[in-house]
Amino acid sequence: MIRSALTTSLPILFGFVPLGIAFGLLFQELNYPWYFASLMGIIVYAGAAQFMAIGLLAAGVGLVEIAMSTFLLNSRHMFYGIAFLESFGNWNLRKLYMIFGLTDETYALMTSIDVPKGFNQKQYFFFITLFAQSYWVLGCTIGALSSEILSFNTDGMEFAATALFVVLLIEQWMMVKRLLPFIIGLIASFIALMFFIDHMLLVAIIISICSILLFRLVNKTHYE
Amino acid sequence: MNEIDYLLATMIVMAISTYFTRIIPFLLFVPGKDNTKLNFIAKSTPPMVMTILVIYMLKGVDYLSTEIFYTLFALAVTVGLQVLKRNALLSIVSGTFVYMFFVQM
Repeated sequence: MIRSALTTSLPILFGFVPLGIAFGLLFQELNYPWYFASLMGIIVYAGAAQFMAIGLLAAGVGLVEIAMSTFLLNSRHMFYGIAFLESFGNWNLRKLYMIFGLTDETYALMTSIDVPKGFNQKQYFFFITLFAQSYWVLGCTIGALSSEILSFNTDGMEFAATALFVVLLIEQWMMVKRLLPFIIGLIASFIALMFFIDHMLLVAIIISICSILLFRLVNKTHYE
Repeated sequence: MNEIDYLLATMIVMAISTYFTRIIPFLLFVPGKDNTKLNFIAKSTPPMVMTILVIYMLKGVDYLSTEIFYTLFALAVTVGLQVLKRNALLSIVSGTFVYMFFVQM
């Protein structure tokens, strides 16, 4: 099972390691010891928010403002948990950890795969979450130590994250086979890009959930 | 507050803030109850979110430079392989390799 979860989680490796390296490289410029980059990957574990933190730290911004900007930036995650209310099981340490590890990438992967027969879904998801965070911490660490370690050119590696979401989008299409949610997502993205570019993800997710609920209301029999 | 204390305080504040966003739905909603609307949201959100994430990742592409060409090419490689082979790793690695090749040229 651990092996299967490891294989399934590998696409996240290619997204997280380059992104983590990019974070570690920028973090170096703050002149803190390298291991604080790893520590941040361990206790905060949020891609975009960690990048934002570099700017906030450099500017010496107050803690209340840091708390609020982090909350705003990550508030899209509020919608992710809804998909796992049942599959994360009862309250225990494992569930608390899986909630902690619910990032864009793990959400995208875990909603797009079928857990192989015979495996316990909760344990399977737990290992995917654990591996994904290990990749992130690994990336952050490599980046922060890069002057000593990196010897090859990583330019363009960030495309791996895009490729991961594209692959999962195709898998979603194979599973759903209904055009409507994709079109709603597309239109919501463009509306959010046009009017709320700073909070594009959150706004687009809210618009699309509201729209699809509206569609369901109008055309109730079609969806039940 | 010295530099290290400030960094540690920032990390703790960010960790709590982030965890809070992730745990909210689990605190608000009780699973297992017959809640068709919630199930509907849970089921229809992933395809919408995936579409949004892809657009989000591509929003920075400069449409007036050569970047658009190799980005589209790398996307075509990723999509083509995924549709044909359904091997996520292969599609991601190949697409990324193509992209890196052109970026570093």
